[in-house]
Formats: sequence, C-alpha cells, structure tokens
Amino acid sequence: MQIFPPNNGGERGKGYQTLGSPPEGFEQQPENGSKGVFSISSYTQYFNVDTDIVLNRLMSSLYPIGGDFFSKIDANPDLYGLIWISTTLVFMLAAFGNCATYLMEKHSDSTTSWSFDVSYINLAAGSVYGYAIVVPVAFYFLLQYLGSNASLVRFWCLWGYSLFVFVLASFLLLIPVEFLRWIVIILAGSASACFVALNLRSYIAENLSLMVVAAFFLQFALAIFIKVWFFP
Amino acid sequence: MSHSDTVPLHPSSQSDIDEIENLIHASVQSAPATVLPARPPSPPRASIPVVSSSPFLQSNLPPPPPPSSNQKVPSVPEPPPPPSSSIAASGFGSAPNTLTEPVWDTVKRDLSRIVSNLKLVVFPNPYREDPGKALRDWDLWGPFFFIVFLGLALSWSASVKKSEVFAVAFALLAAGAVILTLNVLLLGGHIIFFQSLSLLGYCLFPLDVGALVCLLKDNVILKVIVVSVSLAWSSWAAYPFMSSAVNPRRKALALYPVFLMYVSVGFLIIAID
Repeated sequence: MQIFPPNNGGERGKGYQTLGSPPEGFEQQPENGSKGVFSISSYTQYFNVDTDIVLNRLMSSLYPIGGDFFSKIDANPDLYGLIWISTTLVFMLAAFGNCATYLMEKHSDSTTSWSFDVSYINLAAGSVYGYAIVVPVAFYFLLQYLGSNASLVRFWCLWGYSLFVFVLASFLLLIPVEFLRWIVIILAGSASACFVALNLRSYIAENLSLMVVAAFFLQFALAIFIKVWFFP
Repeated sequence: MSHSDTVPLHPSSQSDIDEIENLIHASVQSAPATVLPARPPSPPRASIPVVSSSPFLQSNLPPPPPPSSNQKVPSVPEPPPPPSSSIAASGFGSAPNTLTEPVWDTVKRDLSRIVSNLKLVVFPNPYREDPGKALRDWDLWGPFFFIVFLGLALSWSASVKKSEVFAVAFALLAAGAVILTLNVLLLGGHIIFFQSLSLLGYCLFPLDVGALVCLLKDNVILKVIVVSVSLAWSSWAAYPFMSSAVNPRRKALALYPVFLMYVSVGFLIIAID
C-alpha cells in the first residue's frame, strides 16, 4: 500500500498524526479511546471492517428470522453501516420520492410537469438520521435503567443495518400503482421490524417483551411514514 | 530583497516601498526555510512578519488578513484575494516583493496554480498513478470556486426555491468532502486531510462542466447523457487517489461514498429544472 505523502513532500496543513495505534482491544463498552474524543484514532476501532464483512452483514440484515445478528457483530461492531446506509437511504428517499410523486401525479393527471422539490432532501435527512441516531440511544438508556446490560455501539449497528431493506424497497416503490406500493412497504416494514425485534429479543437477557414490541412498532411506523410522505 | 527587482508602480510610491522594506528588515526572522514542495522556483516571496516561527509557515491554510494598510497599489475591480502565497514557502526574510506587487500578479499566480492542479488531477497525465506526486502543491481556492460555481449553476437552473437549492448543493459538497476524507481516515487509510479536500474539490470540475451544459440546454435526454459522462469522468479522476489511500480489502468501502456523492450531485443536476 502506498503511503503518502512521500516523506520529502513535507506536511501541508494540519496533516494528521500517523495512525500508529491498533484497535483498542476488546473492551466491553468502548466509548472513547484513550487518545481523547477529538482524535480520529479513538474512533477507528468502530470502522475496523473489510468489504466482505460489510457485505456479509448487509445480506444477513435481509433475513428477518435469523436472530443471530448480535453474535455476528459481537466482536467487531461497526458504525460504517449506520452512517452510509442511512446516507444512502436519505438520497434514495429524496431522489425516488420526487420521481414517484411525479409518476403518481402523471398517472392521475397527465398534464403535470416535473418539478423537483428540494425540501424532500431536508425532510429525508432529518427523519432518517434522527431515527437512526435517537432510537438506539433511547433504547440504550431505557435498558440500562431497567438493569439490562446494553451496548450503544451494537444498537447503532443493528438499527443501521436494519435500514438496508428500505434502500432496496425504495426502488420498488417507484411503481406508480398504489396497491403495489402498499404491499411493498408492508413487506419491507415487517421484514425490517422483525429483524430488529427478534435480534433484540435474543440479545436482552431479561424478559422485556415490551421493549421488543416497541422496537417492532417503531420500525413499522418508520416504514409507514416513508410510504406516506415520500411515495404518496 | 533589494530595490532592483521592486518596480515602483508610481513615482510617489517609492517611499512607501522603502517604508515597507524597512519594516520588514527590522522584524525579519532568522528561522531557516525548510522543505519546499515540488514547485518551480518562484520569485522570492515576502513573509508577513509574524512573531513565532510556527509550523504554519508551510501551510496554505486560511491566510492572515492582508496588510491592506501597507499596500498602496492601485486597487483592482475584482476582489483581491489575500496574498496567501506570500506566506513564504521559501522562508522568512526574503524579498518583500509580493507585498507590493500588483494584485494582478498575485491573482495570476493563484490562477496558474489552480490550472496546473486541475491538469494534474482531472486530465490524463503521466503522474496519475502516483498520488503522492499528484497534488503536492494543493490549494483550496480551486475547490472553493468549483463548489460555489456548481451551487450557482444549480441555483440558476432552479425555478423555485433558488436559495434553498444553493444551500443544499453547497452543504452537500462541502460537508461531503469533509466526511469522505474522515471516512478514509477512519477506515485506517493514509491521507492528508486538506490534500484530500483539495483533490475531491478538483474532481468536481467535470460536474461543473456538465452543470453548465445542462444550464444552457434544457433537454432531459441530453442532460442524462451529459451528466453520465461527467459523472464517469469525475469518478475516474478520484479513483486512483482514493483507492490507493486505504487497505485494498477496504477499497470498495472507501470508494462507495465518493460514488454516492457524485451520483447525488449528478441527480441534482438532472432533476433541477
């Protein structure tokens, strides 16, 4: 692997300290590395994944019945999935939402012309990022309060990968047939919600079925929201 | 560092030049110059006298405010960029020429650097496969102009909510470049933060061209073709840099977000009418 700049190039700008530190070992709850909260190297442990690992996790998020996601990510939870799947979803919702709205209106009234509503981007970003970040935090604190042992990073990882189904579904949601759209979103929503709920149940030691059901319904509510707002 | 190569622009400005030279000689630092990046020897540059010889010598970071009170040259209509290049890469204590040179010279020097960086990054050249050489002399003016131009082009072609479109485009591109760089760093790659920002900005040039063409000619099929071509060009320009920065097993993880950003900008160009 080429390391650059070559040493005689001279450091320009802030540069950045060489990543000398290997991942910080398998701590139970690695909040920050010992290097502090503003140093990159304290976060690289959450991105220590290769392409094939990420693909593996993506594929396993499509199987709602598995229930073994946490054991897959236990040693090496990653935040790469959370960040880039949610970003992809934001873009898909904004782009395909506009297309789908146009197609639907064209279906009913053939004189409508294409107009791009840029507020879809803001709405998509707010809702997807808000959901993906806040819901796991809420569950983490609730579970900590109720005495169960929870790991925030693993929750973020789980919820991040659970959004992958929606990315795929938004391709199908372009079809301007109302009935078909509802079928697609209900299927996608249930798959994603089952994925979250079953994995959560297998992770939590205690019998907190209320949490599991709440997770299921929240995910399903996100699916309905996506359908109603972006693909009317 | 002498009067012989300082050409007074106006007879009455000679005394000003003397004054400036005296000031600089009085406070000249003796810190030796260190490494100079691969640039042909430029005219010895003045340094704005600073008290400490900090590493910021070398950087092209946001320059200090121009010593406008010292500069009595006739002002030029275009906003004179601060003499960022006058932070001496060749060390302190050299000729104070760039303080008194015409603004046009400064602008011309920055423009030529932008053009040469552009040629290195975006067009085929023998240094492409060696990213270390590709952008040694990076700067942030080029990316700034390209991002603003792209935002403006999108804003002009929008028929409603123009300012929101500009805001979204600018935020997407600027934040996107930062986040992409952080992504590579977090994946364990080796790049320099500002060099990467600079490179991602220069790779926007093909999309700028595409946006300009789409602005002028409003046909959907043409837009799709033009945007696809410029998207492919941008991705081709960014590929060697990004892929060589990380472990080969993580190459796709580093390249996918770049692709995502360019696709979303391309979509904005097509969709905004």
